[in-house]
Amino acid sequence: MMFPSPSAARRMICLLLAGLSLAGCRLEDLTPQQIGMIASSVQTIGKAARPVSDEEEYYIGRAVAAQLTATYPLYRNKRLTEYLNLVGQTLALHTEQPTTFGGYHFAVLDTPEINAFACPGGTVLITRGMIASVKNEDELAAVLAHELGHVIHRDGIAAIQSSRWSQALLIIGSQAAREFSSKDTAQLVSLFQGSIDDVVKTLVVNGYGRDQEKKADLAALGYLAAAGYDPQGLVGYLDRLQEAGRGSKGGILATHPGTDERLENVREAGAVSVDRSGFPRRSKRFADMVP
Amino acid sequence: MRPLTRYILLICLLWTVDAAAETVSVVTRDNAIRSESRFFAPVRAKVRYGDRLTVIGRKGDWYQVSAKGVNGWVHKSAVESRSYSASGRGRSAGGVSADEVSLAGKGFNPQVEAGYRNANKNLNYGTVDEIERLAVGEKSLETFIQQGGLIQP
Repeated sequence: MMFPSPSAARRMICLLLAGLSLAGCRLEDLTPQQIGMIASSVQTIGKAARPVSDEEEYYIGRAVAAQLTATYPLYRNKRLTEYLNLVGQTLALHTEQPTTFGGYHFAVLDTPEINAFACPGGTVLITRGMIASVKNEDELAAVLAHELGHVIHRDGIAAIQSSRWSQALLIIGSQAAREFSSKDTAQLVSLFQGSIDDVVKTLVVNGYGRDQEKKADLAALGYLAAAGYDPQGLVGYLDRLQEAGRGSKGGILATHPGTDERLENVREAGAVSVDRSGFPRRSKRFADMVP
Repeated sequence: MRPLTRYILLICLLWTVDAAAETVSVVTRDNAIRSESRFFAPVRAKVRYGDRLTVIGRKGDWYQVSAKGVNGWVHKSAVESRSYSASGRGRSAGGVSADEVSLAGKGFNPQVEAGYRNANKNLNYGTVDEIERLAVGEKSLETFIQQGGLIQP
């Protein structure tokens, strides 16, 4: 998350001074204190309008994960979870954002439902049903790469109603708020609660928009290729979704519509030449881990 | 004050804003200054959120930095050109402005999380902590990549 850059701050100062000039105020009329106040105000305005920061995204992601794991229990299989993290971390290192505030974490939810969730900040939760549905490590990597796309594009954060964040900024940006008062805290907790509900509703009920899904798929193709996985693994993963869709409309199919369209896009974009020499070794270790 | 002096004062203010770009702050909870501009390179120093690093150079996605008595490399996604303390209270902010200090760590932070947890006892934060605790070592990851015929980052 970026605060205004020095050059942006400089532009804002210039714009403000230009505005003063248009209003009939001459620079010569300003005292040094007034100039200092203008510079300070520009910085404060810039920060007050800031987006959700990386560390705030982390706390949002934790709360989202806390809700999801209250619904779906964690599958505590240490070997499988470590393996999942090795695949996920490998991919994460090949994204445009290899590090996040709290780091990337991958875990398995104990449900036969076929689904995966990208919590803001970098925690990715994948169901046992999803793991059982993919056929090899490259397809598993494709699922994780798609979810990393959502994390990095901040699709979860985008689900938060802008009015909530605007209200939060009013409290956060208050000059007096060096320490939150109990009233401020209560208001922020309420806004936080609403924000979490927005994200969870999108993850579990509504799903992301078609454009967000397409962008996550395209990003996944790039991450897979960069890491040395076969991007066609994403085609395999979408094939599994399509197969699952013939028997059920629940889980990920409810939140990821348009599998046919996604397959078409991915087949076209993912048809690149890759070194598949490591594929048999990866498939073997996948079979050892996911019998 | 004469007009010329006012303009000089303004230029100094702008220069100060630019000068801040020479340092970056760590924006991840933990990170490392490495001996080379690549992941898995030996770690010369550990850094934490809010640590300020002096930028010496840049290569691709990596900053060459100086801090804690060492020179080395840190990935660009781990730092930003801002500087403030993690909590906004208690810690030295290293000469940053009052605005920066008052905004630091404000917003959706541990204080808000604590209030949220208190109001929602059914949530499973213990499991979230458990998920975050599991970390794969760099050596394991490097070996995993190698054995799978994958590409080293």
